[in-house]
Amino acid sequence: MAIQQADKLLKKHKDLHCAKVLKAIGLQRTGKQDEAFTLAQEVATLEPTDDNSLQALTILYREMHRPELVAKLYEAAVKKVPLSEEYHSHLFMAYARVGEYKKMQQAGMALYKIVPKNPYYFWSVMSLVMQAISAQDEKLAQTMFLPLAERMVEKMVKEEKIEAEAEVQLYFMILERLGKCVEALDVIRGPLGEKLTSELQSRENKCMMLYQRLQRWPECNALAHKLLLKNPDDWQFYPSYFDSLFHLIDQSWSPPEEGEHCPEGAVHHTVAEVVRFVEERIKGEDGKESRSLRGPYLARLELIHRLRERGCPEESLLGDPLELMVQFFGKFGDKPCCITDLKIYLHLLSPDQHVQFVNRLSEAVPLGERGEEGFAFPDDTKALQRHLCVCQLSRALGLHHALDVDGKLRLIAELKAHYRHGLKFGKNALKTELQFSDMYCLMAAHVYIDLWKETGDENMVWQGLGVLQEGLSHSASNAQFKLLLLLLYCHLGAFEPVVDLYSSLDAKHVQHDTIGFLLTRYAESLGQFAAASQSCNFSLRFFHSNQKDTSEYIIQAYKYGAFEKIPEFIALRNRLNQSLHFAQVRTERMLLDLFLEADIVLSLEESVKAMSLSAEEDDIPWDNMRDNRDLTVFTSWDPKDRELTAEHRRQSLEEESVWLRIRSLTLRLLASLAGSGHAPSQQNSEIANENGVGDKSSILSGLLSQLNQTLQTANQIAEKRIQYPFLGPPSTRLAPALSSGSCQCQAAALQLSVHLQELETVGLDESTELQTQICNAFKSLVVQLQEILNKCKGDLLDMKEGKLKTWSSLLENLIFFVETVCIVLWMASHCAKILRPLKTSLQKKKKKKKKDANTAQPVVVCGFQELTGSLQDLLTQALEYIKGQETGITALKLASLSLDEYPQDEASFMKAAMDKVQSSYLRSLQEAGDLLKKRAETIKNLKI
Amino acid sequence: MTTLRPFTCDDLFKFNNITCRQHEAVLYGIPFYLQYLAHWPEYFIVAEAPGGELMGYIMGKAEGSVAREEWHGHVTALSVAPEFRRLGLAAKLMEMLEEISERKGGFFVDLFVRVSNQVAVNMYKRLGYSVYRTVIEYYSASNGEPDEDAYDMRKALSRDTEKKSIIPLPHPVRPEDIE
Repeated sequence: MAIQQADKLLKKHKDLHCAKVLKAIGLQRTGKQDEAFTLAQEVATLEPTDDNSLQALTILYREMHRPELVAKLYEAAVKKVPLSEEYHSHLFMAYARVGEYKKMQQAGMALYKIVPKNPYYFWSVMSLVMQAISAQDEKLAQTMFLPLAERMVEKMVKEEKIEAEAEVQLYFMILERLGKCVEALDVIRGPLGEKLTSELQSRENKCMMLYQRLQRWPECNALAHKLLLKNPDDWQFYPSYFDSLFHLIDQSWSPPEEGEHCPEGAVHHTVAEVVRFVEERIKGEDGKESRSLRGPYLARLELIHRLRERGCPEESLLGDPLELMVQFFGKFGDKPCCITDLKIYLHLLSPDQHVQFVNRLSEAVPLGERGEEGFAFPDDTKALQRHLCVCQLSRALGLHHALDVDGKLRLIAELKAHYRHGLKFGKNALKTELQFSDMYCLMAAHVYIDLWKETGDENMVWQGLGVLQEGLSHSASNAQFKLLLLLLYCHLGAFEPVVDLYSSLDAKHVQHDTIGFLLTRYAESLGQFAAASQSCNFSLRFFHSNQKDTSEYIIQAYKYGAFEKIPEFIALRNRLNQSLHFAQVRTERMLLDLFLEADIVLSLEESVKAMSLSAEEDDIPWDNMRDNRDLTVFTSWDPKDRELTAEHRRQSLEEESVWLRIRSLTLRLLASLAGSGHAPSQQNSEIANENGVGDKSSILSGLLSQLNQTLQTANQIAEKRIQYPFLGPPSTRLAPALSSGSCQCQAAALQLSVHLQELETVGLDESTELQTQICNAFKSLVVQLQEILNKCKGDLLDMKEGKLKTWSSLLENLIFFVETVCIVLWMASHCAKILRPLKTSLQKKKKKKKKDANTAQPVVVCGFQELTGSLQDLLTQALEYIKGQETGITALKLASLSLDEYPQDEASFMKAAMDKVQSSYLRSLQEAGDLLKKRAETIKNLKI
Repeated sequence: MTTLRPFTCDDLFKFNNITCRQHEAVLYGIPFYLQYLAHWPEYFIVAEAPGGELMGYIMGKAEGSVAREEWHGHVTALSVAPEFRRLGLAAKLMEMLEEISERKGGFFVDLFVRVSNQVAVNMYKRLGYSVYRTVIEYYSASNGEPDEDAYDMRKALSRDTEKKSIIPLPHPVRPEDIE
């Protein structure tokens, strides 16, 4: 429609630029990119200066993701209309969109010369700062860009032209980056600093930061306690206050004989003074009519902790930590955050005090009379919260873990009783509200998991699932229930229930990066390929949209003078672009496409081209990978020695990176099979040629040697058998991939391409040795595949003595088999492509030589035929196994499970969980079976 | 015990503490947050626990015509993780937003709240806010439930000495009538 309208206009006015561009936009939006581009360039080369055309072209180029063309457009426009403030300003923004900082600097100055407005001048200054930030060479930043920026600001200061807060902010940024803390301090404390009014306490916060950098401990100390007087709950100043004290002690600082201690006022330089200050803050809170603040009470514990660290005997001045924590519980035990607060100070108790501590707290929990089951319950939600907090603290002290099996089972009974009792307080809760007692339910599940891990008794996990399903039925929006259910189902090999759970979490936007791993780790490995593709797509959509989004806001930040946010926005963009998860979903999505692609004869080239995949290009930022996963998304009250550590995080990232490298190399090696079909982007191929690595075989051998090296590293990692906390990062597929033999088999298949390439050059005539080698490799592939397949034989689900048991590792091995077969088949199809012409030319030669010659096939051709035959057999075997499993699982009568020992409602929740797992296994089998069937079909086409 | 500091982009990666622990907290797309950070960074404050967990945040802006005495602070989002409720944190964050709006010379602070969200309405009332008008079907429905009305609640700042800005409107308005 829009295109027609534009055409009409163009008939009347042949050269109406704007109409042409509008038509181009129409074309672009109907998918005719090439036509749109040509039309747009027709107008652009005329260098239009009318606002309509310029704006329309800007929109078009942005939609085409060609922001650099917008800059060109306005470069031409300002040449023709050199005094236009508007066009100059558009030019500046166009440069900002592509991060051309040097050109921005010049454009800003050009603007200022036309219209001497301060913002334009400071746009130019900020662009210098950006040149400094983005400079590869830190020296250049420190000796050229930043000093220049500083001089530009100083000039304005001298001429008394500083107007806005943003300008002072920018000045401060420059001085700070130059490490000129003294000068920065002068600015902040001087008249210019008075302009810093928007952000609360901006001057104080900046001073504090500078005092710390300058190690001016007296000032730091004086300012900290001044700010704490104003707000005794503002935590950030307690550490500064205490730190400065210790520095002053270490320096044997003493106040001057007369006059002020320092420009910020009085300094507390002895432990006694600081102790007194904290005690006074606490007295202040104790005496208050209104709500007491937690800050001072926790500051006391923090001070004990720090004094103890330094071995200061004065620690005892503050009192016994146990008493103080009991006191804290007395005051704040009914707040949900009491556990979070006290957890960090539990180490102040000696191990032999733990039980005593919990007993003391329990005494302070008002509970009613003991009931039949021997449990006493709280009468209101405050008492409930207190009781819950004691449970949480017991767990955090490791008291739950120390219980034997019976003790744990009794504990679970108690937690469940409290959970169910507590539901009465939330009878009128809205659907979106949580129940007051939800945390008991979650904790009961945690103890079930402890038991499962400890004894290997899968019944524990079924009961855990049951109690969580029960919890979810009363508290439909409890994200923690959903997350833990999701994790447990995955551990049992069942991905199907996860799809609904995750979608009900309503995860979106940045959560695709922070918790998307929960989906992508398991979907594919458990054989739910459709869900796996979809999960990758969710994440990819987020990452791609983010790329264009950020530059808009960088421009806005210039407009509004939020200069300090500009580097932050750029860092955010980098953090997302360099995300581990982003690289993973990019890679896995493409691998999935190749695994799922049915037509192995025709479409490798096409698929590779469609994915713009190329063997030579590696787009993963290996050295700057960002792990944006939120590994603490699961609520946990585990004791310190079971918590996630920084070392776990490091190991997990390392493992993820190695696994990603294997997958990415596999993908690129598959791409290399597609041959020269896809030309890499011009720039890169030029670089490749310059370095002499442009030819196919060296790329291939380079990738293969990288793959072998990576497999070695992978073996080392797998040998370590690193165990992460259950609620921490999931292990990658690395270890099972190695132990199933699929990694090795895939590598062996990919290795074949080198020999095939050789064969292609030598021909079939004089290559008996090579051919034998290839045939041996074929045979070995078949043996390896058979071994993988053997590793998945056995029942995926079985029922013994009325109990259901899952064997998820068998399912995972089956999926490794499926993936590996796919790769071997791609390789086989590649072989066929090479062998066919060789065979034809050989036959021609033979015909010429002797008409009655022996028509024996070349060795490699026989070997290949044998290979395809064996592959066919393997697929048949696998399909029979799958069919057998499907029949077996369908026949499992879950109804006959003996769940009589459980109360009826518990049994029904457990049964529901088992049904879900059963259905999920069937679905996985079906997806794997369908895929293998399609593959079996295509083997026929591999005849040569 | 709370650290109150300006929101930074890295905080986006810690939002699960707020959104994965309660249902009603809305997670917006990144552009939405960046827009506020680019334009009103001082109005975007987070509360952080000593362990680094996000306790809550407030996000707002200044808008309206000064000449018509409609220049005011607006609360766009206020959220506190359930774990850190009942500590007066929301009140503290509101107080900060009001203080910033005072400094900018605003006449009042306003916010929108679902009429069904009695807990929130009562909290805002305790903090000195009153219903200025009802906005019909301000919240668009999701999953089949009907659209919901909003209260536009206001609190006068010291610049509005006669508290003219908070005199309730007699009739409800439609979303397209508000600026």
